[in-house]
Amino acid sequence: MRNRISLHRDPGQRLAQVVMLFFFSAFILLGLKDFAWQAFALALGVPAMISVGTNLLSRLFPTDKLLLSLTNFLCALGVLVLYATNPNYAYQQTMYYGVGLGTMVVCIYLVRIIRNWHIPVLLMIPVSLAMLALPLVIGKETNGAKNWFYIGSLSVQPSEIVKLSLLVIISFYMSRHKMIPWLFFAVCCLGLLMLQKDLGTALMYYGTTLMLFYASSGNLALTGLGLAGGGGAAVMGYKMFAHVKKRVAIWLNPWSDYENAGYQIVQGLMALASGGMLGCGLGLGTPTTIPVYHTDFIFAVICEQFGLIFGLCVLAMYVALIWRGATIAMAARRSFHGLLAMGCTVLIALQTFTIIGGVIKLIPLTGVTMPFVSYGGTSLVSSMCLIGLLQGVASLNDDDLDEDTELAMMGDTEDMP
Amino acid sequence: MKQQRHRFKILALILFGMFFLLAAYGGYSVLTYGNRWFSSKWNPRVRSQKETVIAGDILDVNGVTLATTVDGERVYQENEAIRRAVVHLVGDNQGQVSNGVETFQTSYLYGFQTSLPEMIASLFKGETRRGDNVTLTVDSKLCAAIVDSFNSYEKTAGKNGAAVVMNYKSGAVLALTSLPSFDPQNITEDTLNDAGQPFWNRVTQSVYAPGSSFKVITTEAALTGIDDILNLDILCTGGLDVDGHAIRDWGNAIHGNLTLKQAFTKSCNNAFALMALDMGDEKLRQTAESFGFNDNFLFRDLVVENSVYPTTNRSNFEIAWSGAGQSAIVASPMHMCMVAASIANGGVMMEPRLLQSVDSYGGINRMKFSSKVYRNALSSEDADIIKGFMRAVVTSGTGSRAAVEGLTICGKTGSAESSMNGESVTHGWFIGFIDSEDMPYAVAVLVESVNDGDGGGSTAAPIAGDIFRYIKTMQTANAATSTDLP
Repeated sequence: MRNRISLHRDPGQRLAQVVMLFFFSAFILLGLKDFAWQAFALALGVPAMISVGTNLLSRLFPTDKLLLSLTNFLCALGVLVLYATNPNYAYQQTMYYGVGLGTMVVCIYLVRIIRNWHIPVLLMIPVSLAMLALPLVIGKETNGAKNWFYIGSLSVQPSEIVKLSLLVIISFYMSRHKMIPWLFFAVCCLGLLMLQKDLGTALMYYGTTLMLFYASSGNLALTGLGLAGGGGAAVMGYKMFAHVKKRVAIWLNPWSDYENAGYQIVQGLMALASGGMLGCGLGLGTPTTIPVYHTDFIFAVICEQFGLIFGLCVLAMYVALIWRGATIAMAARRSFHGLLAMGCTVLIALQTFTIIGGVIKLIPLTGVTMPFVSYGGTSLVSSMCLIGLLQGVASLNDDDLDEDTELAMMGDTEDMP
Repeated sequence: MKQQRHRFKILALILFGMFFLLAAYGGYSVLTYGNRWFSSKWNPRVRSQKETVIAGDILDVNGVTLATTVDGERVYQENEAIRRAVVHLVGDNQGQVSNGVETFQTSYLYGFQTSLPEMIASLFKGETRRGDNVTLTVDSKLCAAIVDSFNSYEKTAGKNGAAVVMNYKSGAVLALTSLPSFDPQNITEDTLNDAGQPFWNRVTQSVYAPGSSFKVITTEAALTGIDDILNLDILCTGGLDVDGHAIRDWGNAIHGNLTLKQAFTKSCNNAFALMALDMGDEKLRQTAESFGFNDNFLFRDLVVENSVYPTTNRSNFEIAWSGAGQSAIVASPMHMCMVAASIANGGVMMEPRLLQSVDSYGGINRMKFSSKVYRNALSSEDADIIKGFMRAVVTSGTGSRAAVEGLTICGKTGSAESSMNGESVTHGWFIGFIDSEDMPYAVAVLVESVNDGDGGGSTAAPIAGDIFRYIKTMQTANAATSTDLP
């Protein structure tokens, strides 16, 4: 009997333990380097947070533990790499990580509690559009895109928050097969993002909407038309915006203008090459020479310190996350929940693909963050919220399954049609 | 709902595919380009390592020290003639020469390949860490001899040029020299501003129209693309009319009826233009590509500029001239040397290699020479036929000045017309090899902007002859010493 029980243990539990051990030893290692008490504090704190994030949370709701472990691993990896490069970022990130866990719980609750999304959705549409428009009015331009604004000293990227409502809104209308409202909303969002010249985010919004449309309607002709339209818009964007043209040129040959435009990507490639297969070691190497190493180029930093093989393993973590997400979406009983779960999965996947593809020079670089890992409050919290929505659907699935079992047990005694 | 689930599955598979693409591309590009990225002179990691590690030595194949570190200063070979002759190969500590050994082998020279136990050991011993010593396949004396040879002839003295010698069986580069050169020990303001671009490695970085030396490739295309070409007569009228332009021969010669072998030996442009038109652009391009044109050269030890055979919108006049290696076809001397080497080696083109071995300061071997086939360029039967043609070029054709008593020399000359800074100039080429089991060496010699009336046969071929003579002398000397030994 004992054997059978251990066989049925959740693989997520095991993973969480391994992950906690990994981070404990990693922070101890960093701490031994310069005997900073902060490292030892993180050595205990980060595994504790992982423990809270996986074990405690799954006591509150019936959640997908493997998915939780993967998420926590990626978040903690972000903290670790940030600590190894610039400890100040790591302290902030730890705080955001905590906030993220909190908002994740809120999102799970919301998905479980709200049974009728009609009124929330009607409220979300104007609020989201207003938020997206805000940077255009009071925003700050960085790297050619104007997608930030400040509340006091806190910088906010509204597109990160709006992507949550985008998912809810389009899943809601798509599940009801009402095309006009979601199309209107998606087009408005894309338009506003284009005005902010935030093409990376626009690409993600567009890709997610198109994929969800295909999933909900199965209409290949219209999906193809949407794809062609997107292609056309990309060509138009290339012709219209000087900074897009420049990005494509840098992508094709970053070495031609090493000193200026190509500097970032070339530094990233050198970091990848310096790491080799096994990396130059945690806390070693000079990854800080890469501009924005803590956000866009964090994957290059991971590869320099841990090596290409580890980098590929991180990719595999994302693949596992997609697999869990798709499984949850497929198990959903209601079309809305299925679309919502799939939307979260697609969004995370596309964002990861966009930034890592940019760093390894597979596609032109666009400034989006690497979900869970990159430094940044808005980005981390919104990614955690996506996982919250996914977990909410997962917990509903679990409830449904329990109900089925009950019904089936009743069916044994009564005649069912 | 059921259909929606099915479509979720499809979406998940698409996403998996995208991530697979990421992994595959990332792995591929780091494995193939990693060293090129890493050894870039802009890599700040290398700069910081240079301050804490004593760089290793660079030695030639006979153990002659080409570069070493004395009291933290990089010092190059004390003989100035040798120092200058190998400078493009070795590079300089300022990184003026792109991809010399000094920069391209940074990961060895500056000890990035040192294992952890070695690092810890040197830490405990309190020594400064030392990089690895790199031994090249190159004979530095031959490099100096090539420079002497350039200067010894009136027609080539003071001219820019390039020469490369490689073992066609193993791919090991025996000599690589580019002119003009400079003194790495004393780089002055004048050197930096020199209009002759002395930092430029003309063997690997420059691409030139191969001119008639490309006829080796046209011949292979004709052998495979035109039926019974060996028994056909080709008529040279001295002025083949293509779309209103005439194809002229060297010195406006009219050769009359020629066999393929005669056309090759006399280097008749009309005959090769006719063949190019007969088989078409596509066929000629495919053959050139099987010799490595339009390929992305990713050799382990050398960075070589890619060779180009144009792929778009070509007029008949351009196609006709392509048969004679003109009209936007370009190749580096290194690549043309590989072309000659493939003929010598029965159609098999070896990857050129520069590193004989890499050893740590303590004597641990990190890397040993290993040869690798770059591609199978042509069949061994065709290679033998072309070898016969190339032999005739040296015995009775345009390349007679490369002949050396007692050696079976095969070769092809070329006089390529191209424009440099708006002026029309002629570059002299000679590519060839020694047909011998003991001395398997191929050469390519290029002389830039030869005087009016000169061509590859009168400028490059004599230098190639000197190279072959040097190899022969060395071989005899080696044979003599080895018989003395018990």
